[in-house]
Amino acid sequence: MSMAFSVQRTHIPGECSQIAVIGGGPTGSFFSLFALRMAKMIGREISITIFDPKDFSKDGPGGCNRCGGIISELLVQTLAVEGINLPNSVVRKGINSYTLHTDYGSVFISTPSLERTIATVYRGGGPRGIIGHEKESFDNYLLSLAIEEGAVHQPMRIDSIERKHGKPVLFSKNGHIMEADLAVGAFGVNSTAGKMFASLGFGYSEPPTVNAAIAELHMPEEVIVERFGNSIHLFLLPDRGIKFAAMIPKGSYVTLCILGRKVDAHTVQNFLNKPVVRAVLPEALGYSVACSCLPKMNIGAPKKPFTDRIVMGGDAGSTRLFKDGLGAAYIMGKSIAKTVIFEGTSREDFQKGYYPVYRGIMHDNLFGRILYTVIDQYRSFKILTRAMLKTVEIEQKRDSDDRILSTILWDMFTGNERYRNVFMKSIRPKMHIDMWEGVFRSIGRR
Amino acid sequence: MKDSELGRAFSDGDVIFREGEKGEMMYVIQSGKVKITKDTKSGEVTLATLTCGDIFGEMSLFDRMPRSATAVASGNATILSIDKKKLFTTISRDPTMVFKVLETMSRRIRLLDEELSRLKKTKEHLLRSCCDVEETCKMILQEARNTISAENGSVMFREDDNTLSIKAAYGSKSTQLMRLKVGEGIAGDVLSTGRSEMLNNVSTDGRYKKGSTKIISMLCAPLKCDNTVFGVINMSNTSERLFVLEDLRMLNSLAVYASIAIKNALNYAQLRVAADDVLKQAILVT
Ligand SMILES: Cc1cc2nc3c(=O)[nH]c(=O)nc-3n(C[C@H](O)[C@H](O)[C@H](O)COP(=O)(O)OP(=O)(O)OC[C@H]3O[C@@H](n4cnc5c(N)ncnc54)[C@H](O)[C@@H]3O)c2cc1C
Repeated sequence: MSMAFSVQRTHIPGECSQIAVIGGGPTGSFFSLFALRMAKMIGREISITIFDPKDFSKDGPGGCNRCGGIISELLVQTLAVEGINLPNSVVRKGINSYTLHTDYGSVFISTPSLERTIATVYRGGGPRGIIGHEKESFDNYLLSLAIEEGAVHQPMRIDSIERKHGKPVLFSKNGHIMEADLAVGAFGVNSTAGKMFASLGFGYSEPPTVNAAIAELHMPEEVIVERFGNSIHLFLLPDRGIKFAAMIPKGSYVTLCILGRKVDAHTVQNFLNKPVVRAVLPEALGYSVACSCLPKMNIGAPKKPFTDRIVMGGDAGSTRLFKDGLGAAYIMGKSIAKTVIFEGTSREDFQKGYYPVYRGIMHDNLFGRILYTVIDQYRSFKILTRAMLKTVEIEQKRDSDDRILSTILWDMFTGNERYRNVFMKSIRPKMHIDMWEGVFRSIGRR
Repeated sequence: MKDSELGRAFSDGDVIFREGEKGEMMYVIQSGKVKITKDTKSGEVTLATLTCGDIFGEMSLFDRMPRSATAVASGNATILSIDKKKLFTTISRDPTMVFKVLETMSRRIRLLDEELSRLKKTKEHLLRSCCDVEETCKMILQEARNTISAENGSVMFREDDNTLSIKAAYGSKSTQLMRLKVGEGIAGDVLSTGRSEMLNNVSTDGRYKKGSTKIISMLCAPLKCDNTVFGVINMSNTSERLFVLEDLRMLNSLAVYASIAIKNALNYAQLRVAADDVLKQAILVT
């Protein structure tokens, strides 16, 4: 069957008119939004149906696509240029700085102009019982943009997929749903849909994952304003198995996100009991854990994310390692849209149009892995941790153009830059001279 | 600035960038309004008033020329800035990102085209037929009435004794009989500041001088030549009908051409007096 398709190119205008999107998270919505916009631009009619059983306006786990909810500086700005201005009703807090905590002290890293360039959002209605339903979730906002552009949302789960006469056919548990000209897999890594697509046998496999921990800490908003301001608090601690943790302020909640390769049901409580964490968030503040979960996180990419008339994007394919998954969802969703509208839907079309972007993210993660290994050293060895703190402290008093380590840490954790560019900055001699100065100064201080 | 707002806060009158500066950033308005103004020979002209979601400052990034106009916050505004280097890096990876910017630029060119053709007509009309000052003022008012809907209107000139005299008017009689000095009332104030105004709640304005007819909303634009304000055009409503920013923009543009036409007419009148004098002298001599 696939032979027939590799001969017969599928970009004949009008042929790819029925598109099924499995998953209405950011990847599904970005794809739909851009595909519909581009199709209109060139006067082509397409019909997009997004399948997702979740109601993103609902509070609690039922409406939530569990994540830290940080929209990176780059994504906020890129979306604004695209005409997608994140409204007040979606943004929980505008962020202008990071506060980095280690066992040996903390430093504050800010945007040069203290401009709030990062947004924190909820991916669903928020923790169960959240007060203030006037706010909208990020996923709901994006899905409504796609619907405004002409997509149809079907609140149902797709339970199996087959290929008949080369076309994908979708089924729910109640039976046949539709035969599509194209199926876009945007189902993330937190469902069994990956297995369903892997069973089609074209070479796709579920991406490798690790568990991450998320907890919503509830406390009075004034406390959050006073303790956190407009800063995300990042913890780089010498624990094995945990890469880093972040506390992300959002109204009267703080989202605690712990990422690493060894995260389990006890991770959140163990973390909250650490002295450095208790210094930031003492129990005396009277916070409560409103909810917690252990979602899966994509840490690798399947080699074959497409075939004729089937393509996978976002977490179901590849994503940025440990950061800016939403930015990756935008890049991939849009790249699939461009390919489908301007090239076609055959395996060759995806290879030519979409794969370079997909591969770009995969390659970039190689630099990410190197950088995380370096950061692991910095957080594991006291002398390096101290030197890092000292260097950042000195840099924050300098001109914004002269803050290499601060910029590296900022770009690394905010998702402002690709890992490759962060890596290139990290091998600049000036950075190493500054670090050695930091080492000597921190030794001197002791 | 609300906790959930992005970008940087600007207060009323804060300059975001100035005409002539190098452009390193593009901006997207998150909340509030931004006025784009340009210095011309006859004073400052507001080119546009932009609102939430609008992009500005992109021209200098693309044509690498200095800023062509000044951007000023009009009331409190929050603005997200986008660095040129980062923008171009992103565009180089995904050129379709400029679609939206192109759409904005095309929309602006279209609006400019429309305005230009409207103004061209007005200009031709004004410049062609005006040699008589009072006639010119009447025509200016008629042009203003054609584009802006208002119940009353007047053109006032500064006299040598620093009072304002009405040269042409329509609508309520009492508004036509009002006598003002420079600096007095709203028109008198516009005459001294040289800045146009739009007021939709005139009675609460401290400068308002009550007549027998109560004015609810008012537009007032200065008539200038070589940076000297010699008169004003007023348009006002006694009903609840309010003016919009587009009205103010139109009146400002019209005031630029009206100023030229009136100056022409005044010069012509002076020339005629001088010519008559010369003629009289010549007759006396002969
Ligand atoms: C702990 C944690 C913290 C994170 N923090 C951040 C962060 O702060 N910033 C950031 O940018 N990224 C973050 N990420 C990454 C980010 O969450 C993902 O990259 C992003 O959600 C990917 O979007 P997606 O649309 O591909 O998948 P998802 O968001 O997972 O959406 C998939 C959708 O598909 C639907 N679906 C699944 N199966 C089916 C089916 N069979 N039929 C129909 N619908 C189906 C689901 O209901 C869901 O709505 C984090 C991830 C984790 C795990």
